[in-house]
Amino acid sequence: MSSKIPYISLEMAKDLVTLLEQGDIDAANLIVEECSKAASEELFAEVGKLTRQLHDSLQDFQLDSRIANLANEDIPDAQNRLAYVIEMTENAANKTMDAVEASIPVAENLSSNIKTVIPSWDKLMSRQISLQEFKELCYSVDDILKKVDGDSDQLRVHLNEVLMAQDFQDLTGQVIRRVIDLVREVEDNLIHLLTVFGSPPETLIEEEKSKSGLNEKAEGPIIDAEERADVVSDQDDVDDLLSSLGF
Amino acid sequence: MNTNMKVLVVDDFSTMRRIIKNLLRDLGFTNVQEADDGATALPMLQNGDFEFVVTDWNMPGMQGIDLLRAIRADDRLKHIPVLMVTAEAKKEQIIAAAQAGVNGYIVKPFTAATLKEKLEKVFERLG
Repeated sequence: MSSKIPYISLEMAKDLVTLLEQGDIDAANLIVEECSKAASEELFAEVGKLTRQLHDSLQDFQLDSRIANLANEDIPDAQNRLAYVIEMTENAANKTMDAVEASIPVAENLSSNIKTVIPSWDKLMSRQISLQEFKELCYSVDDILKKVDGDSDQLRVHLNEVLMAQDFQDLTGQVIRRVIDLVREVEDNLIHLLTVFGSPPETLIEEEKSKSGLNEKAEGPIIDAEERADVVSDQDDVDDLLSSLGF
Repeated sequence: MNTNMKVLVVDDFSTMRRIIKNLLRDLGFTNVQEADDGATALPMLQNGDFEFVVTDWNMPGMQGIDLLRAIRADDRLKHIPVLMVTAEAKKEQIIAAAQAGVNGYIVKPFTAATLKEKLEKVFERLG
């Protein structure tokens, strides 16, 4: 016999049989109630324990302030941070282009000024210049030298602006690194959630895949082109693909 | 290449529009206008005498591929050459653009030399 304790003892069972044989229903029912009480008490205790556990884990889940923080503060904060990155990179691009656009006419001026004196200068070099032309050349060169002095200062200023516009890289790098950390934390929490509540059936995942799979939906810059077979990695690939299509 | 033609540059990022505009100006195109997505571009094309479109793919509102299809579906616009300049690099997308009747496809990041080469090719083919 196993070590299990029966809900009803042998003595009580015998008493029950005797009472039933004697027709003492009330006394017999009392014995049955007495016995089932023990069994149901155990059941109640078990249900109680489970209830407490469920309550505790729900409580823990709600009390895990990290999750609440993630949802209420960190993720909106990350959105702001990423918006800041867009703003910073846009400002840098505009500052750089401002400087470049301001430099282009300076460079063009320089080039056209030099082109105007080259014919006289060539004559000088081949000793075929008249005195009058020589005088004019001297004035022109003097004029150009003074202009170039100012222009080169201006170019240096613009180049410096281009250089300084790159200061976003450090700042946006730090911001993006923090957002990456946050994404990692959210990932960890999601994995934890999945292990607690179980993962969705495979079929659902498969369905999702096929839904978002083969199509021409915009995806933005591809950052892992080398590891993917469905994307081109550079302009040469594009040209090859198009020419294979008869372009 | 007739550099006096009216060109429309469609991109949701103003910096990219500015870069393309600068590169086009370098190639001699001075008559360049801008739109920030297909939905803005289409009425401009319908009301203006544009002869060339440079468009991004991924934009809020109307995407570049839909703009291309709308241009090809419109009898008054379907002759306009369209050059796509985009970060979208999936083979299926390039095939879809080719099937929709794109005249050239440049993937970002791109160089000034690539833009020049593709532009020349587009107009060379058109004759």
